[in-house]
Amino acid sequence: MASQSFLDRHHFLLRRLHSLTGIVPIGVFLIAHLTTNSSLLWGKAGLRGTGDHYSFGKDGVTLLEGGVAYFQKEVTWINEQVPHLLLIELTLWLSIAFHAVLGVIYARTGRANTSRYEYQSNWRYRLQRLSGYLGILFIFYHVATLRWGWTFLVPGGTAWSHDFAASTLAAAIRGSETGFTAAGFAVALLYFLGVTLLVFHFANGLWTAAITWGLTISQRAQERWGYACFALGAGLMVMGWASLLGAVMIDPAKARAVEQSIQEGKVGESLAGQADR
Amino acid sequence: MLNFSPSEGSAAAAAARRASAKPGRTIRVSVKRCEGPGQDSRWETFSVKVDRGANVISVLQQIAANPVTVEGKRTTPVVWDSGCLEEVCGACTMVINGKVRQSCSCLMDEYAPGEGDEITLEPMTKFPVVRDLWVDRSRLFHNLARVKAWVPIDGTYYLGAGPREKPQQQEVRYKLSECMSCGCCLEACPQFNLEENPADWNTAFIGAHAISQARLFNEHETGKALRDERLEVLMGPGGVSDCGNAQNCVKVCPKHIPLTESIASVGRAVTLHGLTRWFKA
Repeated sequence: MASQSFLDRHHFLLRRLHSLTGIVPIGVFLIAHLTTNSSLLWGKAGLRGTGDHYSFGKDGVTLLEGGVAYFQKEVTWINEQVPHLLLIELTLWLSIAFHAVLGVIYARTGRANTSRYEYQSNWRYRLQRLSGYLGILFIFYHVATLRWGWTFLVPGGTAWSHDFAASTLAAAIRGSETGFTAAGFAVALLYFLGVTLLVFHFANGLWTAAITWGLTISQRAQERWGYACFALGAGLMVMGWASLLGAVMIDPAKARAVEQSIQEGKVGESLAGQADR
Repeated sequence: MLNFSPSEGSAAAAAARRASAKPGRTIRVSVKRCEGPGQDSRWETFSVKVDRGANVISVLQQIAANPVTVEGKRTTPVVWDSGCLEEVCGACTMVINGKVRQSCSCLMDEYAPGEGDEITLEPMTKFPVVRDLWVDRSRLFHNLARVKAWVPIDGTYYLGAGPREKPQQQEVRYKLSECMSCGCCLEACPQFNLEENPADWNTAFIGAHAISQARLFNEHETGKALRDERLEVLMGPGGVSDCGNAQNCVKVCPKHIPLTESIASVGRAVTLHGLTRWFKA
Protein backbone atom coordinates (compact mmCIF):
# COMPACT_ATOMS: atom_id res chain seq x y z
CA MET A 1 0.00 0.00 0.00
CA ALA A 2 1.66 3.18 -1.18
CA SER A 3 -0.58 5.33 0.99
CA GLN A 4 0.83 3.89 4.21
CA SER A 5 2.63 6.36 6.40
CA PHE A 6 6.28 6.02 7.45
CA LEU A 7 5.12 4.90 10.88
CA ASP A 8 2.93 2.18 9.39
CA ARG A 9 5.53 0.90 6.93
CA HIS A 10 8.13 0.45 9.65
CA HIS A 11 5.67 -0.28 12.44
CA PHE A 12 7.38 -3.30 13.97
CA LEU A 13 10.93 -1.96 13.73
CA LEU A 14 9.97 1.40 15.27
CA ARG A 15 8.00 -0.24 18.08
CA ARG A 16 10.92 -2.50 18.94
CA LEU A 17 13.47 0.32 18.69
CA HIS A 18 11.24 2.34 21.01
CA SER A 19 11.35 -0.51 23.51
CA LEU A 20 15.08 -1.08 23.04
CA THR A 21 16.15 2.56 23.41
CA GLY A 22 14.29 2.73 26.72
CA ILE A 23 16.64 0.05 28.08
CA VAL A 24 19.82 0.66 26.07
CA PRO A 25 21.11 3.33 26.25
CA ILE A 26 18.59 5.29 28.36
CA GLY A 27 17.96 2.79 31.17
CA VAL A 28 21.60 1.76 31.44
CA PHE A 29 22.59 5.42 31.61
CA LEU A 30 19.98 6.04 34.33
CA ILE A 31 21.56 3.33 36.50
CA ALA A 32 25.06 4.80 36.04
CA HIS A 33 23.81 8.37 36.52
CA LEU A 34 22.00 7.67 39.79
CA THR A 35 24.90 5.59 41.10
CA THR A 36 27.30 8.49 40.51
CA ASN A 37 24.95 11.14 41.87
CA SER A 38 24.00 9.24 45.00
CA SER A 39 27.71 9.18 45.90
CA LEU A 40 27.02 12.65 47.31
CA LEU A 41 25.70 10.66 50.29
CA TRP A 42 27.78 7.46 50.27
CA GLY A 43 30.95 8.82 48.70
CA LYS A 44 32.86 9.05 51.98
CA ALA A 45 32.84 5.27 52.18
CA GLY A 46 34.29 5.09 48.69
CA LEU A 47 37.21 7.49 49.18
CA ARG A 48 39.59 4.71 50.28
CA GLY A 49 42.04 7.05 51.93
CA THR A 50 42.52 9.27 48.92
CA GLY A 51 40.88 12.08 50.88
CA ASP A 52 44.14 12.59 52.76
CA HIS A 53 45.48 15.39 50.61
CA TYR A 54 42.23 17.40 50.51
CA SER A 55 41.94 20.12 53.18
CA PHE A 56 38.99 18.92 55.23
CA GLY A 57 37.82 20.24 58.57
CA LYS A 58 39.98 19.56 61.62
CA ASP A 59 37.62 16.88 62.94
CA GLY A 60 38.34 14.71 59.93
CA VAL A 61 36.18 14.13 56.86
CA THR A 62 32.44 14.61 57.41
CA LEU A 63 29.90 12.51 55.52
CA LEU A 64 29.05 15.30 53.10
CA GLU A 65 32.65 16.44 52.65
CA GLY A 66 33.54 12.89 51.73
CA GLY A 67 30.57 12.80 49.38
CA VAL A 68 31.54 16.06 47.72
CA ALA A 69 35.14 14.89 47.24
CA TYR A 70 34.15 11.46 45.87
CA PHE A 71 31.46 12.93 43.61
CA GLN A 72 33.97 15.46 42.24
CA LYS A 73 36.45 12.66 41.57
CA GLU A 74 33.76 10.75 39.62
CA VAL A 75 32.67 13.81 37.64
CA THR A 76 36.28 14.65 36.79
CA TRP A 77 36.83 11.07 35.69
CA ILE A 78 33.77 11.18 33.45
CA ASN A 79 34.77 14.49 31.90
CA GLU A 80 38.46 13.73 31.45
CA GLN A 81 38.75 9.97 31.06
CA VAL A 82 35.59 8.65 29.38
CA PRO A 83 36.35 8.51 25.64
CA HIS A 84 34.02 10.00 23.01
CA LEU A 85 31.99 11.77 25.69
CA LEU A 86 30.20 14.08 23.23
CA LEU A 87 29.34 11.09 21.03
CA ILE A 88 27.91 9.29 24.07
CA GLU A 89 25.93 12.38 25.00
CA LEU A 90 24.58 12.85 21.47
CA THR A 91 23.55 9.18 21.35
CA LEU A 92 21.73 9.63 24.64
CA TRP A 93 19.97 12.83 23.63
CA LEU A 94 18.88 11.39 20.29
CA SER A 95 17.69 8.18 21.96
CA ILE A 96 15.70 10.14 24.52
CA ALA A 97 14.17 12.32 21.80
CA PHE A 98 13.29 9.25 19.71
CA HIS A 99 11.82 7.41 22.71
CA ALA A 100 9.86 10.49 23.76
CA VAL A 101 8.41 11.41 20.35
CA LEU A 102 7.34 7.85 19.56
CA GLY A 103 6.19 7.38 23.14
CA VAL A 104 3.82 10.34 22.86
CA ILE A 105 2.49 9.07 19.51
CA TYR A 106 1.92 5.59 20.95
CA ALA A 107 0.43 6.86 24.21
CA ARG A 108 -2.12 8.85 22.24
CA THR A 109 -3.53 5.64 20.69
CA GLY A 110 -4.87 4.57 24.09
CA ARG A 111 -7.66 5.82 26.32
CA ALA A 112 -7.14 5.18 30.03
CA ASN A 113 -10.07 3.55 31.85
CA THR A 114 -8.85 3.20 35.43
CA SER A 115 -12.09 4.69 36.72
CA ARG A 116 -13.96 1.57 35.54
CA TYR A 117 -11.25 -1.07 35.73
CA GLU A 118 -9.32 -0.08 38.83
CA TYR A 119 -6.80 -2.94 38.68
CA GLN A 120 -3.23 -2.29 39.72
CA SER A 121 -1.88 -3.32 36.32
CA ASN A 122 -4.26 -0.84 34.69
CA TRP A 123 -2.96 1.91 36.98
CA ARG A 124 0.58 0.98 36.04
CA TYR A 125 -0.44 1.36 32.38
CA ARG A 126 -1.80 4.82 33.08
CA LEU A 127 1.13 5.87 35.26
CA GLN A 128 3.59 4.67 32.60
CA ARG A 129 2.10 7.19 30.17
CA LEU A 130 1.79 9.99 32.72
CA SER A 131 5.39 9.48 33.90
CA GLY A 132 6.49 9.58 30.28
CA TYR A 133 4.77 12.91 29.62
CA LEU A 134 6.01 14.58 32.82
CA GLY A 135 9.37 12.81 32.76
CA ILE A 136 10.35 14.23 29.38
CA LEU A 137 9.58 17.76 30.58
CA PHE A 138 11.78 17.18 33.62
CA ILE A 139 14.63 15.69 31.54
CA PHE A 140 14.50 18.68 29.23
CA TYR A 141 14.71 21.12 32.15
CA HIS A 142 17.45 19.07 33.79
CA VAL A 143 19.67 18.81 30.69
CA ALA A 144 18.97 22.36 29.49
CA THR A 145 19.92 23.95 32.80
CA LEU A 146 22.75 21.77 34.08
CA ARG A 147 24.32 20.64 30.80
CA TRP A 148 23.48 23.22 28.13
CA GLY A 149 23.84 26.13 30.52
CA TRP A 150 20.40 27.70 30.11
CA THR A 151 20.96 29.57 33.36
CA PHE A 152 17.95 31.84 32.81
CA LEU A 153 15.85 28.85 33.87
CA VAL A 154 17.79 28.39 37.11
CA PRO A 155 16.60 30.40 40.13
CA GLY A 156 19.68 32.30 41.28
CA GLY A 157 21.22 31.82 37.84
CA THR A 158 23.83 29.23 38.92
CA ALA A 159 25.70 27.63 36.03
CA TRP A 160 26.78 24.05 36.66
CA SER A 161 30.51 23.48 36.43
CA HIS A 162 32.15 20.05 36.31
CA ASP A 163 35.13 21.42 38.25
CA PHE A 164 32.81 22.45 41.09
CA ALA A 165 30.25 19.71 40.61
CA ALA A 166 28.59 19.44 44.04
CA SER A 167 28.63 23.13 44.99
CA THR A 168 27.10 24.38 41.73
CA LEU A 169 24.56 21.52 41.75
CA ALA A 170 23.52 22.34 45.31
CA ALA A 171 23.21 26.07 44.49
CA ALA A 172 21.15 25.34 41.35
CA ILE A 173 18.74 23.10 43.26
CA ARG A 174 18.48 25.32 46.35
CA GLY A 175 17.96 28.49 44.36
CA SER A 176 20.96 30.38 45.76
CA GLU A 177 24.54 29.97 47.05
CA THR A 178 23.48 30.58 50.60
CA GLY A 179 20.23 28.81 51.35
CA PHE A 180 16.87 27.61 50.12
CA THR A 181 14.72 30.12 48.24
CA ALA A 182 11.04 29.58 47.40
CA ALA A 183 11.93 29.06 43.74
CA GLY A 184 14.72 26.73 44.81
CA PHE A 185 12.23 24.70 46.80
CA ALA A 186 10.09 24.39 43.66
CA VAL A 187 13.11 23.15 41.71
CA ALA A 188 13.92 20.60 44.41
CA LEU A 189 10.29 19.43 44.33
CA LEU A 190 10.46 19.17 40.54
CA TYR A 191 13.57 16.99 40.88
CA PHE A 192 11.86 14.79 43.45
CA LEU A 193 8.83 14.27 41.20
CA GLY A 194 10.89 13.89 38.05
CA VAL A 195 13.29 11.32 39.50
CA THR A 196 10.49 9.34 41.16
CA LEU A 197 8.37 9.19 37.99
CA LEU A 198 11.30 8.31 35.74
CA VAL A 199 12.54 5.51 37.98
CA PHE A 200 9.01 4.08 37.96
CA HIS A 201 8.87 4.51 34.19
CA PHE A 202 12.12 2.57 33.75
CA ALA A 203 11.28 -0.26 36.17
CA ASN A 204 7.75 -0.72 34.81
CA GLY A 205 8.99 -0.37 31.24
CA LEU A 206 11.55 -3.09 31.87
CA TRP A 207 8.74 -5.32 33.11
CA THR A 208 6.52 -4.74 30.06
CA ALA A 209 9.48 -4.98 27.68
CA ALA A 210 9.97 -8.60 28.73
CA ILE A 211 6.38 -9.29 27.63
CA THR A 212 6.76 -7.26 24.42
CA TRP A 213 9.88 -9.16 23.35
CA GLY A 214 8.44 -12.46 24.55
CA LEU A 215 11.00 -13.20 27.27
CA THR A 216 8.46 -13.76 30.03
CA ILE A 217 5.54 -15.80 28.74
CA SER A 218 3.94 -17.68 31.64
CA GLN A 219 2.02 -15.91 34.38
CA ARG A 220 4.63 -17.17 36.85
CA ALA A 221 7.52 -15.82 34.77
CA GLN A 222 5.82 -12.42 34.50
CA GLU A 223 5.41 -12.37 38.28
CA ARG A 224 9.02 -13.33 38.92
CA TRP A 225 10.31 -10.70 36.53
CA GLY A 226 7.89 -8.24 38.12
CA TYR A 227 9.52 -8.70 41.51
CA ALA A 228 12.97 -8.41 39.94
CA CYS A 229 11.98 -5.12 38.28
CA PHE A 230 10.44 -3.93 41.52
CA ALA A 231 13.71 -4.63 43.36
CA LEU A 232 15.73 -2.80 40.72
CA GLY A 233 13.26 0.09 40.78
CA ALA A 234 13.36 0.27 44.59
CA GLY A 235 17.16 0.35 44.53
CA LEU A 236 17.20 3.09 41.89
CA MET A 237 14.53 5.01 43.79
CA VAL A 238 16.68 4.99 46.93
CA MET A 239 19.67 6.18 44.90
CA GLY A 240 17.63 8.87 43.19
CA TRP A 241 16.25 10.19 46.47
CA ALA A 242 19.74 9.95 48.06
CA SER A 243 21.17 12.06 45.22
CA LEU A 244 18.54 14.72 45.77
CA LEU A 245 18.90 14.59 49.55
CA GLY A 246 22.65 15.06 49.16
CA ALA A 247 22.16 18.02 46.83
CA VAL A 248 19.77 19.82 49.17
CA MET A 249 21.83 19.11 52.32
CA ILE A 250 25.19 20.26 50.98
CA ASP A 251 26.26 23.80 51.85
CA PRO A 252 27.56 25.22 48.54
CA ALA A 253 30.24 27.30 50.28
CA LYS A 254 31.69 24.37 52.21
CA ALA A 255 31.50 22.14 49.14
CA ARG A 256 33.33 24.78 47.13
CA ALA A 257 36.16 24.76 49.70
CA VAL A 258 36.57 21.00 49.31
CA GLU A 259 36.47 21.25 45.54
CA GLN A 260 38.98 24.10 45.59
CA SER A 261 41.40 21.98 47.55
CA ILE A 262 40.93 19.16 45.04
CA GLN A 263 41.70 21.55 42.19
CA GLU A 264 44.90 22.56 43.98
CA GLY A 265 45.74 19.04 45.04
CA LYS A 266 45.35 17.84 41.50
CA VAL A 267 48.06 20.21 40.31
CA GLY A 268 50.37 18.91 43.02
CA GLU A 269 49.52 15.31 42.11
CA SER A 270 50.33 15.69 38.46
CA LEU A 271 53.65 17.41 39.30
CA ALA A 272 54.51 14.61 41.67
CA GLY A 273 53.54 12.08 38.99
CA GLN A 274 55.97 13.70 36.53
CA ALA A 275 58.80 13.72 39.07
CA ASP A 276 58.34 10.00 39.73
CA ARG A 277 58.65 9.11 36.08
CA MET B 1 1.89 -4.88 47.49
CA LEU B 2 2.58 -5.80 43.87
CA ASN B 3 -0.42 -7.45 42.27
CA PHE B 4 0.10 -9.59 39.17
CA SER B 5 -3.02 -11.67 39.72
CA PRO B 6 -4.82 -12.59 36.50
CA SER B 7 -8.20 -12.68 38.26
CA GLU B 8 -10.15 -10.18 40.33
CA GLY B 9 -12.83 -10.19 42.99
CA SER B 10 -13.55 -12.75 45.67
CA ALA B 11 -15.76 -15.78 45.00
CA ALA B 12 -16.51 -16.07 48.72
CA ALA B 13 -17.84 -12.52 48.92
CA ALA B 14 -20.05 -13.12 45.88
CA ALA B 15 -21.42 -16.33 47.42
CA ALA B 16 -22.17 -14.50 50.67
CA ARG B 17 -24.12 -11.84 48.78
CA ARG B 18 -26.13 -14.50 46.93
CA ALA B 19 -26.97 -16.22 50.22
CA SER B 20 -28.15 -12.93 51.76
CA ALA B 21 -30.53 -12.09 48.88
CA LYS B 22 -34.21 -11.67 49.84
CA PRO B 23 -36.73 -13.36 47.49
CA GLY B 24 -39.58 -11.16 46.28
CA ARG B 25 -37.66 -7.89 46.69
CA THR B 26 -37.99 -4.94 44.34
CA ILE B 27 -34.83 -3.62 42.66
CA ARG B 28 -34.11 -0.63 40.45
CA VAL B 29 -32.70 -1.20 36.97
CA SER B 30 -31.18 1.75 35.12
CA VAL B 31 -30.73 1.22 31.41
CA LYS B 32 -28.78 3.36 28.95
CA ARG B 33 -31.18 3.66 26.01
CA CYS B 34 -30.43 4.59 22.42
CA GLU B 35 -32.94 4.64 19.55
CA GLY B 36 -30.45 3.74 16.84
CA PRO B 37 -26.98 4.21 15.35
CA GLY B 38 -25.62 7.73 15.79
CA GLN B 39 -28.48 8.86 18.03
CA ASP B 40 -28.12 10.37 21.49
CA SER B 41 -28.54 8.10 24.45
CA ARG B 42 -30.59 8.62 27.61
CA TRP B 43 -31.04 6.83 30.94
CA GLU B 44 -34.29 5.18 32.02
CA THR B 45 -34.90 3.51 35.35
CA PHE B 46 -37.33 0.68 35.98
CA SER B 47 -38.60 -0.94 39.14
CA VAL B 48 -38.60 -4.74 38.95
CA LYS B 49 -39.75 -7.39 41.40
CA VAL B 50 -37.25 -10.26 41.43
CA ASP B 51 -37.27 -13.80 42.80
CA ARG B 52 -34.36 -16.07 43.66
CA GLY B 53 -32.21 -16.91 40.64
CA ALA B 54 -33.26 -13.94 38.50
CA ASN B 55 -30.63 -12.82 36.00
CA VAL B 56 -30.33 -9.71 33.84
CA ILE B 57 -32.14 -11.42 30.97
CA SER B 58 -35.19 -12.31 33.09
CA VAL B 59 -35.21 -8.76 34.46
CA LEU B 60 -35.16 -7.38 30.90
CA GLN B 61 -38.01 -9.74 29.98
CA GLN B 62 -40.08 -8.34 32.84
CA ILE B 63 -39.35 -4.80 31.67
CA ALA B 64 -40.39 -5.79 28.13
CA ALA B 65 -43.70 -7.12 29.49
CA ASN B 66 -44.40 -3.82 31.22
CA PRO B 67 -42.15 -1.04 29.90
CA VAL B 68 -43.05 1.69 32.40
CA THR B 69 -40.30 3.73 34.08
CA VAL B 70 -40.22 4.58 37.78
CA GLU B 71 -41.64 8.00 36.86
CA GLY B 72 -44.69 6.18 35.44
CA LYS B 73 -43.79 7.05 31.86
CA ARG B 74 -44.68 4.41 29.27
CA THR B 75 -41.69 3.61 27.01
CA THR B 76 -40.52 1.04 24.44
CA PRO B 77 -39.25 -2.38 25.49
CA VAL B 78 -35.46 -2.49 25.90
CA VAL B 79 -33.65 -4.18 23.02
CA TRP B 80 -30.81 -6.58 23.77
CA ASP B 81 -28.93 -9.40 22.06
CA SER B 82 -28.69 -12.91 23.45
CA GLY B 83 -28.29 -16.50 22.32
CA CYS B 84 -27.32 -19.48 24.43
CA LEU B 85 -28.27 -18.13 27.88
CA GLU B 86 -25.50 -20.25 29.40
CA GLU B 87 -22.39 -18.09 28.91
CA VAL B 88 -20.92 -19.84 25.91
CA CYS B 89 -22.01 -17.68 22.96
CA GLY B 90 -21.00 -14.18 24.05
CA ALA B 91 -23.96 -12.43 22.40
CA CYS B 92 -25.46 -10.94 25.58
CA THR B 93 -22.25 -9.20 26.68
CA MET B 94 -22.92 -5.75 28.13
CA VAL B 95 -21.58 -3.30 30.71
CA ILE B 96 -23.19 -4.05 34.08
CA ASN B 97 -22.47 -1.75 37.03
CA GLY B 98 -19.65 -0.23 35.00
CA LYS B 99 -17.89 -3.48 34.12
CA VAL B 100 -18.23 -5.72 31.11
CA ARG B 101 -19.61 -9.26 31.41
CA GLN B 102 -22.30 -11.61 30.09
CA SER B 103 -25.78 -10.63 31.24
CA CYS B 104 -27.16 -14.20 31.21
CA SER B 105 -24.78 -15.32 33.96
CA CYS B 106 -25.23 -12.10 35.95
CA LEU B 107 -27.43 -13.01 38.91
CA MET B 108 -29.53 -10.38 40.68
CA ASP B 109 -29.01 -12.26 43.96
CA GLU B 110 -25.35 -11.27 43.70
CA TYR B 111 -25.62 -7.83 42.10
CA ALA B 112 -28.71 -6.51 43.90
CA PRO B 113 -29.33 -8.69 46.97
CA GLY B 114 -31.17 -6.05 49.00
CA GLU B 115 -34.54 -4.31 48.71
CA GLY B 116 -34.20 -1.21 46.49
CA ASP B 117 -30.67 -2.07 45.26
CA GLU B 118 -29.85 -0.62 41.87
CA ILE B 119 -28.02 -2.06 38.88
CA THR B 120 -26.99 -0.23 35.73
CA LEU B 121 -27.01 -1.72 32.24
CA GLU B 122 -25.09 -0.11 29.37
CA PRO B 123 -24.15 -1.32 25.89
CA MET B 124 -20.49 -2.05 25.24
CA THR B 125 -18.68 1.16 24.34
CA LYS B 126 -16.11 -0.22 21.89
CA PHE B 127 -18.67 -1.29 19.28
CA PRO B 128 -21.33 0.77 17.49
CA VAL B 129 -24.74 0.58 19.16
CA VAL B 130 -27.51 -0.92 17.03
CA ARG B 131 -30.18 -0.15 19.60
CA ASP B 132 -30.25 0.06 23.41
CA LEU B 133 -28.03 -2.75 24.73
CA TRP B 134 -27.49 -4.38 21.34
CA VAL B 135 -24.15 -3.64 19.65
CA ASP B 136 -22.62 -4.57 16.30
CA ARG B 137 -19.56 -6.73 16.97
CA SER B 138 -18.56 -7.09 13.28
CA ARG B 139 -15.09 -5.69 13.93
CA LEU B 140 -14.38 -8.47 16.41
CA PHE B 141 -15.04 -11.11 13.73
CA HIS B 142 -13.26 -9.06 11.08
CA ASN B 143 -10.16 -9.12 13.28
CA LEU B 144 -10.36 -12.91 13.62
CA ALA B 145 -10.39 -13.07 9.81
CA ARG B 146 -7.37 -10.73 9.70
CA VAL B 147 -5.26 -13.33 11.51
CA LYS B 148 -6.83 -16.23 9.59
CA ALA B 149 -8.10 -17.81 12.79
CA TRP B 150 -8.86 -21.18 11.22
CA VAL B 151 -7.27 -24.44 10.09
CA PRO B 152 -6.79 -24.46 6.28
CA ILE B 153 -8.26 -27.77 5.13
CA ASP B 154 -10.64 -26.66 2.39
CA GLY B 155 -9.86 -28.30 -0.93
CA THR B 156 -11.13 -30.44 -3.76
CA TYR B 157 -9.73 -33.81 -2.66
CA TYR B 158 -9.23 -35.89 0.46
CA LEU B 159 -6.10 -34.77 2.32
CA GLY B 160 -5.75 -37.84 4.50
CA ALA B 161 -5.25 -37.91 8.24
CA GLY B 162 -3.72 -34.79 9.80
CA PRO B 163 -0.45 -34.76 11.72
CA ARG B 164 -0.43 -36.13 15.25
CA GLU B 165 -1.15 -33.61 18.03
CA LYS B 166 0.84 -33.92 21.26
CA PRO B 167 -1.30 -34.14 24.43
CA GLN B 168 0.77 -31.35 26.04
CA GLN B 169 -0.02 -29.06 23.13
CA GLN B 170 -3.66 -30.05 23.23
CA GLU B 171 -3.81 -29.05 26.85
CA VAL B 172 -2.52 -25.54 26.12
CA ARG B 173 -4.76 -25.18 23.10
CA TYR B 174 -7.89 -26.44 24.82
CA LYS B 175 -7.95 -23.46 27.17
CA LEU B 176 -7.41 -21.03 24.27
CA SER B 177 -10.18 -22.73 22.26
CA GLU B 178 -12.74 -21.78 24.91
CA CYS B 179 -12.86 -18.22 23.56
CA MET B 180 -16.46 -17.40 22.63
CA SER B 181 -15.68 -14.08 20.89
CA CYS B 182 -17.76 -12.15 23.42
CA GLY B 183 -15.68 -8.94 23.37
CA CYS B 184 -15.05 -8.51 27.12
CA CYS B 185 -11.27 -8.31 26.58
CA LEU B 186 -11.81 -5.57 23.98
CA GLU B 187 -14.28 -3.56 26.04
CA ALA B 188 -11.87 -3.45 29.01
CA CYS B 189 -8.78 -2.71 26.88
CA PRO B 190 -7.52 0.89 26.90
CA GLN B 191 -5.79 0.30 23.54
CA PHE B 192 -8.92 -1.01 21.77
CA ASN B 193 -11.29 1.87 21.06
CA LEU B 194 -14.41 2.48 19.02
CA GLU B 195 -13.70 2.71 15.28
CA GLU B 196 -16.91 3.50 13.40
CA ASN B 197 -15.24 3.43 9.99
CA PRO B 198 -14.39 -0.15 8.81
CA ALA B 199 -11.54 1.34 6.76
CA ASP B 200 -9.67 1.93 10.04
CA TRP B 201 -10.15 -1.61 11.33
CA ASN B 202 -6.99 -2.91 9.63
CA THR B 203 -4.68 -0.44 11.36
CA ALA B 204 -6.35 -0.03 14.77
CA PHE B 205 -5.41 -2.41 17.60
CA ILE B 206 -6.56 -5.93 16.77
CA GLY B 207 -7.32 -6.97 20.37
CA ALA B 208 -6.38 -9.76 22.76
CA HIS B 209 -8.94 -12.24 21.40
CA ALA B 210 -7.44 -12.27 17.89
CA ILE B 211 -3.86 -12.47 19.23
CA SER B 212 -4.83 -15.45 21.39
CA GLN B 213 -6.64 -17.16 18.51
CA ALA B 214 -3.62 -16.64 16.26
CA ARG B 215 -1.57 -18.44 18.92
CA LEU B 216 -4.16 -21.23 19.08
CA PHE B 217 -3.97 -21.90 15.35
CA ASN B 218 -0.20 -21.34 15.10
CA GLU B 219 0.27 -24.14 17.61
CA HIS B 220 -2.06 -26.48 15.70
CA GLU B 221 -0.10 -28.95 13.56
CA THR B 222 -2.20 -28.20 10.47
CA GLY B 223 -3.05 -24.62 11.37
CA LYS B 224 0.69 -23.92 11.41
CA ALA B 225 0.64 -23.71 7.62
CA LEU B 226 -0.59 -20.11 7.91
CA ARG B 227 1.77 -19.19 10.76
CA ASP B 228 3.89 -16.69 8.82
CA GLU B 229 0.85 -14.94 7.37
CA ARG B 230 -0.65 -14.54 10.84
CA LEU B 231 2.63 -13.22 12.26
CA GLU B 232 3.00 -10.73 9.40
CA VAL B 233 -0.39 -9.24 10.27
CA LEU B 234 0.45 -9.20 13.98
CA MET B 235 3.74 -7.38 13.27
CA GLY B 236 1.95 -4.65 11.34
CA PRO B 237 -0.04 -1.60 12.45
CA GLY B 238 -2.59 -2.54 15.09
CA GLY B 239 -0.77 -5.81 15.76
CA VAL B 240 0.59 -7.28 18.97
CA SER B 241 3.06 -4.38 19.47
CA ASP B 242 0.10 -2.04 20.05
CA CYS B 243 -0.72 -3.87 23.28
CA GLY B 244 -0.11 -1.51 26.21
CA ASN B 245 0.18 -4.24 28.87
CA ALA B 246 -2.64 -2.87 31.02
CA GLN B 247 -3.64 -6.56 31.36
CA ASN B 248 -7.33 -5.79 31.87
CA CYS B 249 -8.20 -8.40 29.22
CA VAL B 250 -7.14 -11.37 31.31
CA LYS B 251 -9.01 -10.07 34.37
CA VAL B 252 -12.37 -9.63 32.63
CA CYS B 253 -12.20 -12.77 30.46
CA PRO B 254 -15.21 -14.87 31.55
CA LYS B 255 -13.45 -18.04 30.39
CA HIS B 256 -10.21 -17.24 32.26
CA ILE B 257 -8.18 -17.63 29.09
CA PRO B 258 -4.51 -16.72 29.73
CA LEU B 259 -4.66 -13.81 27.28
CA THR B 260 -1.54 -12.08 28.60
CA GLU B 261 0.42 -15.31 28.13
CA SER B 262 -0.85 -15.47 24.56
CA ILE B 263 0.24 -11.87 23.98
CA ALA B 264 3.74 -12.62 25.34
CA SER B 265 3.91 -15.85 23.35
CA VAL B 266 3.00 -14.07 20.12
CA GLY B 267 5.47 -11.33 21.15
CA ARG B 268 8.23 -13.96 21.21
CA ALA B 269 7.06 -15.40 17.88
CA VAL B 270 7.16 -12.03 16.11
CA THR B 271 10.56 -11.20 17.69
CA LEU B 272 12.04 -14.36 16.18
CA HIS B 273 10.08 -14.00 12.93
CA GLY B 274 11.20 -10.38 12.58
CA LEU B 275 14.86 -11.20 13.21
CA THR B 276 14.77 -14.15 10.82
CA ARG B 277 13.13 -12.09 8.12
CA TRP B 278 15.56 -9.20 8.56
CA PHE B 279 18.62 -11.40 8.10
CA LYS B 280 17.08 -13.51 5.33
CA ALA B 281 15.50 -11.11 2.90
